[in-house]
Amino acid sequence: MNRAVTIATAFVVAAIATYNLACFQVGEWQQGVVLQFGKPIKTIIEPGLNFKMPFIQNVVYFEKRLLEYDASARELITIDKQQLLVDNYSRWRIVDPLKFYQTVLTIEGAQSRLDDIIYSNLREAIGRVTLRDVVSGDRVDLMSQVTGNSNDRASAYGVQVVDVRIKRADLPEKNEQNVFSRMRTERERQAKKFRAEGEEEARKIRSTSEKARRILLAEAKRTAEITRGEADAKAAAIYAQAYERDPEFYAFVRTLEAYRRTLGQKTTIVLDPSAEFFELLQSSR
Amino acid sequence: MADGFGNGSTGPPTPERMLQEALEQMRSRIPSGIAGIAALLFALVAWMATGVYQVNPSEIGVVMRFGRVTATTPPGLHWHLPWPIETVLKPPVTRVLKAELGFRTLDPGPPARYRPVTEESRMLTRDGNIIELDFVVQYRIDDPVAYLFNILDPNETLRHTAESAMREVIGHSTIDAALTEGRMEIQTAAHELLQQTLDTYDSGLKITTVKLQDVVPPGPVQDAFKDVINAEQDLQRMINEAEGFANDILPKARGMAAQMINEAEGYAEARLKESEGETQRFTLLRDEYAKAQEVTRKRLYLETLEAILPDIEKYVVEGGSGTGALPILQLKQPTPTQSEQPGATP
Repeated sequence: MNRAVTIATAFVVAAIATYNLACFQVGEWQQGVVLQFGKPIKTIIEPGLNFKMPFIQNVVYFEKRLLEYDASARELITIDKQQLLVDNYSRWRIVDPLKFYQTVLTIEGAQSRLDDIIYSNLREAIGRVTLRDVVSGDRVDLMSQVTGNSNDRASAYGVQVVDVRIKRADLPEKNEQNVFSRMRTERERQAKKFRAEGEEEARKIRSTSEKARRILLAEAKRTAEITRGEADAKAAAIYAQAYERDPEFYAFVRTLEAYRRTLGQKTTIVLDPSAEFFELLQSSR
Repeated sequence: MADGFGNGSTGPPTPERMLQEALEQMRSRIPSGIAGIAALLFALVAWMATGVYQVNPSEIGVVMRFGRVTATTPPGLHWHLPWPIETVLKPPVTRVLKAELGFRTLDPGPPARYRPVTEESRMLTRDGNIIELDFVVQYRIDDPVAYLFNILDPNETLRHTAESAMREVIGHSTIDAALTEGRMEIQTAAHELLQQTLDTYDSGLKITTVKLQDVVPPGPVQDAFKDVINAEQDLQRMINEAEGFANDILPKARGMAAQMINEAEGYAEARLKESEGETQRFTLLRDEYAKAQEVTRKRLYLETLEAILPDIEKYVVEGGSGTGALPILQLKQPTPTQSEQPGATP
């Protein structure tokens, strides 16, 4: 019984020891280089369990995932002598860990190399286009050039540059101030234009309506006068037609009416007793 | 103890001796018998138990054997081969993650408080203007294996890609479009570009929304921009006032015009009726007169005098016509029209 326990324990201890010394795992996110006495002899890219010789071989791990390098913003000059503050980042990965180990060894080391490569490519590419192109042109085309060129040079380090993109392309501060004052002036001009247009339109509407009004009233007046005039004429015709049948009688009746109307309370009249009105008073017949 | 080779306990240690002694030492340390077996079994079970794991409802389990992905497991209780044979990672796949660009939420509130990040929000537009733009990207993990193993720090990568994508889209828009009617378009374009780029990296992330928050002109020019809106309103106001004026005077004028015409028509009608009435009266009278002229004449004459003489101030004075100077009369009261004339003679 004791022997069984002892052997089992010994087996467990041996297994653990063996695993630690002779086995190693490479994770999905890793790749490794096996060194023998410090000299690289094998690279492992696929994940899984692998074996090595204890003590004389050891494993150095490298990142397999996509890495990002965010360079600091730098001023670049376009072909039309405009300054741009460009903040780019690049995505890269280690594709050949052996070469990587032999050349740059660490991520920091790689990034400093990449920085040089990408910066020089970027400076050259930006220097061939205008500011307008960078901001609103075909960025894809521009950056794929930079990516391609950088990748060519970076492969010497076992590295693949997947893409280089402009995170920010801004104007340096003093240029910003100029842009602001231009923006301000443009807006002021627009505001002025709106107000002037408003006044013009308002004036038009007012004067149009005044004109319409004036015409309306004048027309109405004209119509009214014509109506009155026609009526007067018609009435005159009616009178004339009727009175002409007996002008003498008309004159008589009309005069009597005139007396009625005009000789009233305020009138003073002097009568001669020999007037016909009084004839019966003189002598009764 | 003596062995067959003649070595006594005082001799130099041989490999066999060393192994034996090691075993002895082990044996002495290991509890013997049942206790020993129990201890071993316990250790074995404990070791196996390290393989038990739970996947929460919002997660998914990714199982790796010796570092290589072999399976994904849904939420629940599971078991994998114990470490170091198998391990599990549990990324959250149903949670919607959020990236803020141009600002940071300091306190979700209420009231919510934010801190602006001008380096992220300030961008150049197509027409050479500068705009400040905050936006939010919502996303989730679509492919957990890709998410775990393709990019180092995928969330940070997403942020940078989002910023770059938005700048590119804004670089193709005018400032006015970005401030007003172009917002939907910009969101859609940025969303597409961002997803496209992330897919080229095989990020395993899926963008659910890209939503613009504040989109404003930069501080130093905001007043000038606001004034343009005010000016637009002023324009409208001036036009409205003028139209109001027009809508006031024209109906009034129409009313006046109608009144003028109505008055004239009324006059015309009255005049007509008057003339018809008067002439009719005359005609009737005349017809009667024609039947008895002398009598009618006399009658009309006398009726008239009857009507007017009572109210008149009358003086009956002797003296025919042609006597020359009229006697001066002392008239009782002054009248406006003093007529000193011979009496009417038929």
